[in-house]
Amino acid sequence: MQKKLEQILMPVAIKLGNNVVLRSLRDGFLIITPLIIVTSIFLLIGNFPIPGWTEFWSGILGPHWTEWFSAVSNLVFSFTGLLACFGISYAYGKNRGLQAIHTSAIAIISFLILTPTVVTVGKKSIGAIQTMYLGPNGIFLGIFIALVSVEIYRFAIKRNWRIKMPDGVPPAVSESFDALLPAGLVVLVFFLIRIGFSLSSFETAYNFIYTLLQQPLKGASNSLPSVLLYNFIAMLLWCFGINGPTITNSVWSPIFFVLTQDNLTAFQNHTQLPHIFTQQFIDIFTTYGGGGSTLSLLIVMLTVCKSKRVKELGKLAIVPGIFGINEPIIFGLPVVLNPIIAIPFIIVPVLNTLISGIVFQLGWVPYTNGVMLPWTTPPIISGWLSTGSWTGSVLQLFELVLGILIYYPFIMMIDRQYLAEEAEAAGLDDVDINFDEI
Amino acid sequence: MKVIVLLDQIQAGLGGKEKGDTPLGGKKLAMGAADTLDKALKKMDSEIIGPFYCGTDYYQANKAEVNRKVAKMSEKMGADVVIAGPTYDYRDFSTMACELAATIQKETTIPVVGLTAIEKNADLIQQYQDQITIVKMPKKGGTGLSDSIDHALQLCKMKVEGADFTDFINQYCY
Repeated sequence: MQKKLEQILMPVAIKLGNNVVLRSLRDGFLIITPLIIVTSIFLLIGNFPIPGWTEFWSGILGPHWTEWFSAVSNLVFSFTGLLACFGISYAYGKNRGLQAIHTSAIAIISFLILTPTVVTVGKKSIGAIQTMYLGPNGIFLGIFIALVSVEIYRFAIKRNWRIKMPDGVPPAVSESFDALLPAGLVVLVFFLIRIGFSLSSFETAYNFIYTLLQQPLKGASNSLPSVLLYNFIAMLLWCFGINGPTITNSVWSPIFFVLTQDNLTAFQNHTQLPHIFTQQFIDIFTTYGGGGSTLSLLIVMLTVCKSKRVKELGKLAIVPGIFGINEPIIFGLPVVLNPIIAIPFIIVPVLNTLISGIVFQLGWVPYTNGVMLPWTTPPIISGWLSTGSWTGSVLQLFELVLGILIYYPFIMMIDRQYLAEEAEAAGLDDVDINFDEI
Repeated sequence: MKVIVLLDQIQAGLGGKEKGDTPLGGKKLAMGAADTLDKALKKMDSEIIGPFYCGTDYYQANKAEVNRKVAKMSEKMGADVVIAGPTYDYRDFSTMACELAATIQKETTIPVVGLTAIEKNADLIQQYQDQITIVKMPKKGGTGLSDSIDHALQLCKMKVEGADFTDFINQYCY
């Protein structure tokens, strides 16, 4: 069964994992993730989920103190489309063997070429760029521009369309001239694309991509079945030793990113949060202690199991587990290629996804606010901070306990087997191999 | 076939990176990654007689002693073959495994099979591939783990039985 599943899954996983476009999308979003986490902290401080927080600090720092913090968070959150374009064009250029800094720079220029630069205020037109084009609504346009601009750039580089400088010219100067013709070609193509759209009923590339791609994709992926499928595939792959989320994120991460940014924008503007299935939902309300929700498993190992090996591993892995690090248990129990643990390892996150999805849909817990917390934030705290409500923590606690109950019979099977082996080994002179006698 | 497996603290189930100071030790029970290998070995009427483990930091600080003791203990326990790994792309563990494998190969008559990923270890593999046979395996979280373990065990069997494994090496080793 395991072999057969592996034979079916492996080629798909390899194809997805090796696909340079999907890999670049994932890597590109990772480039800008630190910026989002750091600025999220600023946003969180300005909107901490404690009643009276804003008023308390206003009394000390003055009425405008929240603006200091939102100035920082706005700088990133209003430009996520442009930043996505920057990160993805960098990653894609690098993965295509090009000078990534050049591909990144030219992608940003291409993005700006397609962005309307005139804003009508009353009867007056002024030269300006609206952040609505550069923020979350421009993420898919940013992705499209990043991929297309790098491909055009590569097209020219492959054909050696470059201005050759004589030997002795410093490398920085010669590289700059190398990029001249390819960059010119990219600019020319996007110049023509802009003209093309201005003559169409869409008027802008932004309108075209947002209407025909971003909105429909958001709708299809922002659903419980989509998120269930995401977690099921991710956990199934982990059981074969494959880092499942890196494969599934190749497909889902652009959508989760957009959905999260939508919520973040709404949170910042104090309007209703629009989406349930954000990146936070996945990270904070479906797995606890890392992939497979192994914090529940660790609690059983530590409190109920009797075999020395399982109990010791539980002791060693519980603290990293609380902070979402489950490497010791993935390889040390091990989880990989372990058919017994594979069953709850898949069931628990999928069930958590289902329960959390229903609970959020029923409105028992407020939607996640889009604030990207550091991934090491422990459960209970993360549930509260991401929803601003204690009910988020209660949901996490409930799912942790449910996970304990599901993991229990499976880890006990392993525990009994280990206990029998340890009892057998007790008949030996010594279980430990004594290297001191060498 | 009596097999000894060399593991670091993570693969032995003795903690994460922070437990790199775990001293050299061993159990007469399969533990951590050795348990996965043991299940496959039992189907081949073989067993793991001792996973040896050593924290990567401890190894770095006590290289000479660990190399000497591992080689001697492998001989003393009458191992038919030693598997160094699976190391994935863990650089410190891969270094330890390659160095220990090379010592056992040099100082004993016991055949050794390495199991290492090329990622982060290209120079290391280049340095050791002429001295020891290293089976290809995926990096941590990569595809093809199950196959690579099968290949390592097949190679162990061939080495113990004295079979010709030239073609096998060309196909599955570095």
